[in-house]
Amino acid sequence: MTARGWLIVWALSVTGCMQPGESPEPAATVLVFKHGRLSGDGEALSGLLREFEQRFPGVVVREELLPASSDRQHQYYAMNLDGGSAPFDLLGVDTIWVQEFAKAGWLSSLDDILLPAERDEFFPGPIEAATFEGRLYALPWYIDAGVLYYRRDLLERHGLDPPRTWPELVRAAKLVLDAERDGRLAGFVWQGKQYEGLICVAVEVLRSHGADLWTGDRDRAEAGLRFLREAISVHGITPLSASMADEESTRLMFGDGRALFMRNWPYAWALLQREGSPVRDKIGMAPLPSFPGQAGAPVLGGWLLAIPQNSPKREAAGKLIRFLTSLSAQRRIAMDLGYNPTRRALYAEQSLLKVRPLLKDLYPIFVSARPRPITPYYLALSQAAQPEVSAVVVGRKTPREALTAVRSQAERLLPKSAFPSKAKES
Amino acid sequence: MVPRRTSMTGAAMRRTLSEKSWGYVLAAPAFILVGCLALAPIAAALWLSLRHRLPILAVDEFVGAANYLDLLSDDRFWAACRTTLYFTVLSVTIELVLGLGLALLLHGLTRRPSPSARIAQVVTILPWAVPTVVSAQIWLWLYQPDYGLLNYLLRQAGVVAASVDWLADPDWAIHAAIAMDVWKTTPFAALLLLAGLKAVPEDLYDAARIDGAGWWERFRMITLPLLMPIILITLVFRTMDAVRVFDAVYVLTGGGPGNATETLSIYAYKTLFQSLQFGYGSALATAMFVIAAALSTMYLLLLRRHLREVP
Repeated sequence: MTARGWLIVWALSVTGCMQPGESPEPAATVLVFKHGRLSGDGEALSGLLREFEQRFPGVVVREELLPASSDRQHQYYAMNLDGGSAPFDLLGVDTIWVQEFAKAGWLSSLDDILLPAERDEFFPGPIEAATFEGRLYALPWYIDAGVLYYRRDLLERHGLDPPRTWPELVRAAKLVLDAERDGRLAGFVWQGKQYEGLICVAVEVLRSHGADLWTGDRDRAEAGLRFLREAISVHGITPLSASMADEESTRLMFGDGRALFMRNWPYAWALLQREGSPVRDKIGMAPLPSFPGQAGAPVLGGWLLAIPQNSPKREAAGKLIRFLTSLSAQRRIAMDLGYNPTRRALYAEQSLLKVRPLLKDLYPIFVSARPRPITPYYLALSQAAQPEVSAVVVGRKTPREALTAVRSQAERLLPKSAFPSKAKES
Repeated sequence: MVPRRTSMTGAAMRRTLSEKSWGYVLAAPAFILVGCLALAPIAAALWLSLRHRLPILAVDEFVGAANYLDLLSDDRFWAACRTTLYFTVLSVTIELVLGLGLALLLHGLTRRPSPSARIAQVVTILPWAVPTVVSAQIWLWLYQPDYGLLNYLLRQAGVVAASVDWLADPDWAIHAAIAMDVWKTTPFAALLLLAGLKAVPEDLYDAARIDGAGWWERFRMITLPLLMPIILITLVFRTMDAVRVFDAVYVLTGGGPGNATETLSIYAYKTLFQSLQFGYGSALATAMFVIAAALSTMYLLLLRRHLREVP
């Protein structure tokens, strides 16, 4: 291009006449793929994208990374999607945002990209979280769910099995703590900081008592909240520091050999099993316990892929979504990135299980994982509940007071019709 | 550029533009800049605070004072007000007292220029130069119950038998945040006050010494009154910052535990950007603006009275 040509391009882009992401060469379609920074090897994803470009000549994918923090990403998307013309063609969305974004009319329905007949090939949780008023708005990219980590060596030394119920966990923790007489050892650590992670823990504990934070049986819900507080104040198996703990601080504590049990997401496994880790080969993973006679359900996490409403490059973006959620790309995500694939078939593939044996244990957990309440108002609900549950954890409010506040906020925040009956699932 | 008087007679200048009009013309770019950068967003936020704007509900309607009426019955808002004021009063008071002490020390040191005086000045300002998010992260480590330095020192000194979990205890957490803020912004207060001290004429002290005034009398009769305008300006700066405190507390505690450290700006942030209630969040931000404006107006009135009394 001549100097004059560049000058025109420069002038157009400076004055905003050119859409960002539009290339001066007319032949190539540039897809801007916005997503949070992935932990692990980022190169692995770039490799997949280059493979896509080779398979679909004329399409160029440009990755634009957002900070790993989910809150920051939500803020970015909310501000950019609200304007109506998003500067990206493909985005990664947290499971808890899809309803909200779909309700706001920010996402394009993907019913034609993943036909209903194909949806069974994925785990049910993410598909459920991505379905709003009968239409699908995002495809599952990778999946997560709450799990229980335990110190296999310590349980074996004291002749214990991994606990199936919360009372068993309390008993096991007390027994081991009494016998080990190690002041630095904690029984059970979990995410108790005032943030979304605390709501995940609370929802899991309440579900495992057949209750829910925002609707349904109050007595059971109160008992669930009381369990969180009493783990600290009565049983003494959880240190007070839980009230400031997030995923990473609990992972560091457990990884340092200073906790018997931990509630966390599967990502911690690879880090705990790293070369030089003090707990390497001394740990196990199990489904979260429940109260006797109840069946719990871990909270669903993970990310999905979506397309902004009215995207001019929807067709190409749809192809990329199909590619990234295909069996072969999902296999690569599992092998090279260490993320958990959303396609169920991969969990039976011997070659993959040889590299990532843990997937076998995770399969039933992911099958049972349930989304947090499926409503577009989830973030406001969670936001209002966080201070209340946190107040229970530190003993500033009784479970009854906190639950009354949570329920009345839910009523204030939500129009009556806003709470679909689905939110009551346990 | 003001036309040079030598090249144009006074009469000629009056013919083109009066001096006052010229003043407006020359100040116009600054006015426009301030208008675009400061006033327009404030006006937009005020306008937003009079609306219900929930993008996910496709709600965008004018509701008048409804958001403000909701504020009045919102317990979380009042709790955030109390937390913010508690934080402001405590941190600003401590910062002013410590800052004044530090400024006096530095003033004494730098009266005779020396390398050590310069080093002392640089070291003093360092905490202020560190970005708040970074220093909050540092303090997060200092407060850590197991390997944090603070607990280690206290245990070694025999002050505490077992580690205290400063941030996990709702009663301690707010004070931990205040301590961090004091560490970070005392240098700023000290620097402002030091500049004020440098402006106090040295011969006043000499005269007072000859009259037999001791250190305390010189401080009370000369330093303090002459420093008062700077003290008030320092208070304005610090109070405005403290009322809007966000990053320091957000990194340390996220507003918890049990909401014990949720300041107005944290509540506004969560309402605006996490639960996307733009109208209500703007009302919260406006309330914060009103509180900050009221406090600084109070200081400025005090300043004006003071300047009138001490010519």
